[in-house]
Amino acid sequence: MIPTRADEPDYAKLADATAQTLNRYGNPIQLLPDGDNGVSLRINGDAGIGDNPNRTRQHAFHFTADNCIGCHACEAACSEKNDLPPHLSFRSVGYVEGGTYPDYTRINISMACNHCDDPVCLKGCPTRAYTKHPEYGAVIQDPDICFGCGYCTWVCPYNAPQLDPMAGQVEKCNMCVDRLEVGLKPACVSACVGNALDFGVVENVPERRKQIDARIPGFPDPNITKANIRFQHTRQAPHEVTRPDSALVKYRDDPQTGFRPVVDPREGVEKQWNWARLSSRENPLVAFTLAVQAAVGAFATTFVAGQASTLVALAALVLVGLGMAASTAHLGKTLRFYRGFNNLRHSNLSREALATVFFGAAVGLYLISDLAGWPSVALGFGAAAVVAGIATIYYMVRCYLIPARPFWNHWQTAAAFVGASLALGGWIGLALVPGWQSQLVWTIVAGLGLEVAGLVGQARDMRTAEHEGAVSHYVQTTTFGQVYRLRNGLLLGNLVLICALAVAGVTHPGPWLAAALVGMGSALVSRALFYVVVVPTTMPGAFFWKNKGFEKHARDIGLAANPAVGVAPNDH
Amino acid sequence: MMLFGRRRKNPIRIANKSVADWKYATCGYCSVGCSIEVGVDAAGKPVTTRGVGGADVNRGKLCIKGLTQAKIFAAPGRGSAPKTRDRTFDDWQRTDWNSALDRVAAEFQGIQARHGRDAVAVISTGQIMTEEFYTLGKLVRGVIGTNNYDGNTTLCMASAVSGYKRSFGSDGPPGCYGDFDHTQCLLAFGSNLPEQHPIIYWRLKEALEKRKFPVIVVDPRVTMFAQFADIHLPVTPGTDLVLLNSLCHVILEDGLQDEAWIRAHTDGFEEFAETVAAYDPATAARICGIDEDTIRTVARLYGKADAAMAIWTMGINQSTHGSDGVCAINNLNLITGNIGKPGGTSLSITGQCNAMGTREWSACSGLPGYRQLENPAHREEVGRFWNVDPEFFPKRRGLFQTDIFPAIETGQIKALWVIGTNPLTSMPNTPRIRKTLANLEFCVVQDAYEDVETADYAHVYLPASVWAEKEGCFTNTERRVNLTRAVTAPFANSKPDHWIFTSLARRWPKAAAMHWPGTPEATFEEMKQLSKGRGRNLDISGMTYAKIEAQRGIQWPMREGDEHGSPRLYADGVFPHPDGRAKLLALPYIENNERPDSEFPFWLNSGRVVEHFHTRTKTGKVGDCNKHSPIPYMEMNPDAADRLGVEHMGYARLVSRRGDAVVMVQRTQRVPNDMVFIPFHFHDCVNRLTLGLLDPHSRQPAFKQCAVRIESVDQDEAATRDVALRSF
Repeated sequence: MIPTRADEPDYAKLADATAQTLNRYGNPIQLLPDGDNGVSLRINGDAGIGDNPNRTRQHAFHFTADNCIGCHACEAACSEKNDLPPHLSFRSVGYVEGGTYPDYTRINISMACNHCDDPVCLKGCPTRAYTKHPEYGAVIQDPDICFGCGYCTWVCPYNAPQLDPMAGQVEKCNMCVDRLEVGLKPACVSACVGNALDFGVVENVPERRKQIDARIPGFPDPNITKANIRFQHTRQAPHEVTRPDSALVKYRDDPQTGFRPVVDPREGVEKQWNWARLSSRENPLVAFTLAVQAAVGAFATTFVAGQASTLVALAALVLVGLGMAASTAHLGKTLRFYRGFNNLRHSNLSREALATVFFGAAVGLYLISDLAGWPSVALGFGAAAVVAGIATIYYMVRCYLIPARPFWNHWQTAAAFVGASLALGGWIGLALVPGWQSQLVWTIVAGLGLEVAGLVGQARDMRTAEHEGAVSHYVQTTTFGQVYRLRNGLLLGNLVLICALAVAGVTHPGPWLAAALVGMGSALVSRALFYVVVVPTTMPGAFFWKNKGFEKHARDIGLAANPAVGVAPNDH
Repeated sequence: MMLFGRRRKNPIRIANKSVADWKYATCGYCSVGCSIEVGVDAAGKPVTTRGVGGADVNRGKLCIKGLTQAKIFAAPGRGSAPKTRDRTFDDWQRTDWNSALDRVAAEFQGIQARHGRDAVAVISTGQIMTEEFYTLGKLVRGVIGTNNYDGNTTLCMASAVSGYKRSFGSDGPPGCYGDFDHTQCLLAFGSNLPEQHPIIYWRLKEALEKRKFPVIVVDPRVTMFAQFADIHLPVTPGTDLVLLNSLCHVILEDGLQDEAWIRAHTDGFEEFAETVAAYDPATAARICGIDEDTIRTVARLYGKADAAMAIWTMGINQSTHGSDGVCAINNLNLITGNIGKPGGTSLSITGQCNAMGTREWSACSGLPGYRQLENPAHREEVGRFWNVDPEFFPKRRGLFQTDIFPAIETGQIKALWVIGTNPLTSMPNTPRIRKTLANLEFCVVQDAYEDVETADYAHVYLPASVWAEKEGCFTNTERRVNLTRAVTAPFANSKPDHWIFTSLARRWPKAAAMHWPGTPEATFEEMKQLSKGRGRNLDISGMTYAKIEAQRGIQWPMREGDEHGSPRLYADGVFPHPDGRAKLLALPYIENNERPDSEFPFWLNSGRVVEHFHTRTKTGKVGDCNKHSPIPYMEMNPDAADRLGVEHMGYARLVSRRGDAVVMVQRTQRVPNDMVFIPFHFHDCVNRLTLGLLDPHSRQPAFKQCAVRIESVDQDEAATRDVALRSF
């Protein structure tokens, strides 16, 4: 137990006299049976157990937006307590603003982890670095287990997990459970200078407060994760609020639903190329997904059609190997790659990884038995590889169906991944299976058709969406507008060309090679776009801090070399 | 509910800073005066800080700067050894303290012999301990004997000092933070408490949550404070005096004044009333930009409140009529009987941690303990006490800081000693200051950080110990004397300022006849003797270090034998003017500022941000502060920015009649169409633009009112320059 002090002020002490039974999501607030006070959290190895009577109730932050002055004391207290480097912060204060001088309103939002009922970080984490404890309902992540894939930072709608590119691992808010165990509120709450932050058993209205709402302008849908954060915001807000950071999102008041994210078309409507910006820290994932999809597609389509060949199997094996290498390179701590299978129970990422390994192994065994001249054994492994391949693509799609990333959370992701499997796999089959396999041409056509359908459906839905997906669409049609147009042209043109060649019965390799190269190029551009245009649901940043645009600028001009600027010099 | 995999989990790991001991100090940043404990590890190294729970000022709270303050001790740029050079373009040579101090003394003595005593000037700070200020005052007034000696007060609180003296007869804020718990109306002028003084804001917020009362904020910018106020008055820059005169006009017109109190405790009412008669709200509205109905509403609210208080900061002080503005606030409180009573007061919200200490004890504007050079009895008293011939003291105050620079420019002053301040960043019109400093024959910079920009023009650099590497007291905004213990050893070969002053004094033969206490505590005991006397408010003779620490700070006056300090001055209605009465002053408004015109169409406003302190020599190196504004920026209205094609997060160049500056643009409706706001903390930035006309009484510059135009700039060039300029 950490030491306490005699003159600790009352505002820093936990003070929940009563508690509700169920929270607003219908879940029990008491997390263990009556009389069970839980176990020791073994904080830094300490076997002690706190005597807090509410120890096994779900706790939550309460944030009074009416009061927040944006003074950063909460962030500083948190970083000071957790000894964080300046480029990291478990809690951040951003803001939105609106109105016209002097009728101007700024709403500051201080946000850390919401210790959700349904922690998507925990579910998503392939290494099982996360635990939701029945003690206080705290969701705590263990950096010593984490291998730095950053998937939790994708799925969390509130930016709670912090990927440290320098340390190659994620860290996050630990609810100051060491303070809770001795009856103290978290450091951020105790430090609050505006009387905005409070903390206690969820659904309790803190002293001097009158509202426990689950929404506030700029805060994503709390239902995604059943977030344990409550707000008071009773002051008049402008009908539209903008963000000071570079995210092209603003929030518009809707009488029914409250504030909804809409596009802030600050970058104008000019269609640009921005080739260089297509390259991102997710490049290894572009390689991984395309390679594995091509491998699965090539093996499965040829195998199912009864034209399985040694060369195709070999190509699939090589591609899977390269893909896995690329995805491992993407990790913050590559030597911990083996932990990727730790969370098969919940994590689609773990399942995807395991399915990929099974696929690779089955293809390998197929290859061995094929070369050894055991056709029936090969048939068995081949069938297993097809099943594993389908599972791989299925879980790969599921990995990207993330509510916190609305642009991906669309059937287009499935269409794109299956489409790429069919198209790229078809091309590989066409090249490597002996003889001219005309049915593979129709596989390619089906793959491309699927991708086109997905893109059309996505564009239609995102254009009018009231979420960050609309911003993604805005970005892909402006910042990358020319690339987007080119890719669409190549995709459609190639589809028409392939159909024409097939109908005309052209067998000369020249036109087919050209079509194949265009197909691969557009697949690469498509996938790169997929990663760079996604806009997560994010908490608003400030003008410098938590502003992606400024972080990029600071890296570009070399300002980030000074640690006191608070921007990690490299983002991967 | 997912309760998952916990049996096999590692123990929860939470950072442990291994604090072995908590040591008592007073925060070394601003003048709120928070009691702070520095956590030191087993090796004695400061690792963290926390607010002292039982301290009345901050009750356990600290702001972002206080919370991260343990990082300033070993911050980059700390001076590790004295350095010397012949010419400012030569490389620095490290030297020992004896050689460095010998050279300083020899140069000062030589220049004084050749050009007269006043050819050496001393500019000090608000950052060092009161005992150090007192020792410096003894050295400068009693030994070196120059009359060109000033503190940083002139850039900060000089207008408040001057206004208090003119209205009440002496410096010294009469109120306290506890007044928030009693007031029925609070009027804030040019004070952005949530950013400048977060813990005072918190005290106000606590009071408001327990008992709501109206808060009125006068500020041209929609600060968070303005936003949370019941009434925000977006005043035209530099016209507060007009608003104040008009408020008084309405109060007199409606008969809301406290006639009995005015008769009993003030004089000058007739002339005052005659002057404010000219400031009817309709006339005033056209000048100050606040409509006449709102002026009447506010005046009646204030006038009818049983207890009302006014606070102010640089919005009033840094103005061509700063001193008049302070007197006008005092007028408002005097006619409504709001001085010396709980919840009724004039309370200047001071700047540096020991801005009050320098005003009280440094002798820079007179003699220690609010004594005046102009008063023969004071010269006699201090001369006898120090064993200095009273005739050695000048008979009137010498130059203010803002007049010292022009005297260097014109050659009357040849040598300058700069202590814990950074005029190359903080003075208005820094292009001129740069040229001025180059005129010096000899310049000494004494600072905890050797990268303080003013050292560019120094011949000797003396590395001072910082904050809680030393022992001593600060006085805060509410006259609370609070103690800092030496929590860690001085960095490298840096020395406490107290040691530097007493060691330098020994280089003058006459100092041998004087007493130089060896410790800050012994110095404090000496100051106590000088603080006694009938009718003296600045009386600390009842205090001891032990009592100060036990009570977490004590407000003066605390007379010998008292057990506690005094929350308020003038509760008895007796003022330090010789006749015991406060003065109501006639304060006609004179329009003399630079105003926007067709060539320079924008008002330039400057101010603080919460994460930085002064010229960033500390906070610029603390990542958790600096990251919130690592480069200079301006707030600009989006409508104006659209007209000029200025983009959010792009760079723009500002040009004034003095110079130019390049900043990043933050588009926001927080500022009006014809105004930009730039934080003043950054070197070679806003003060390259400012005019800084001087207040006739306080000689404080009007930092916040001048005119600029905005031009586009090559974005890559600007970014390159930005990196080059922001090494910290």
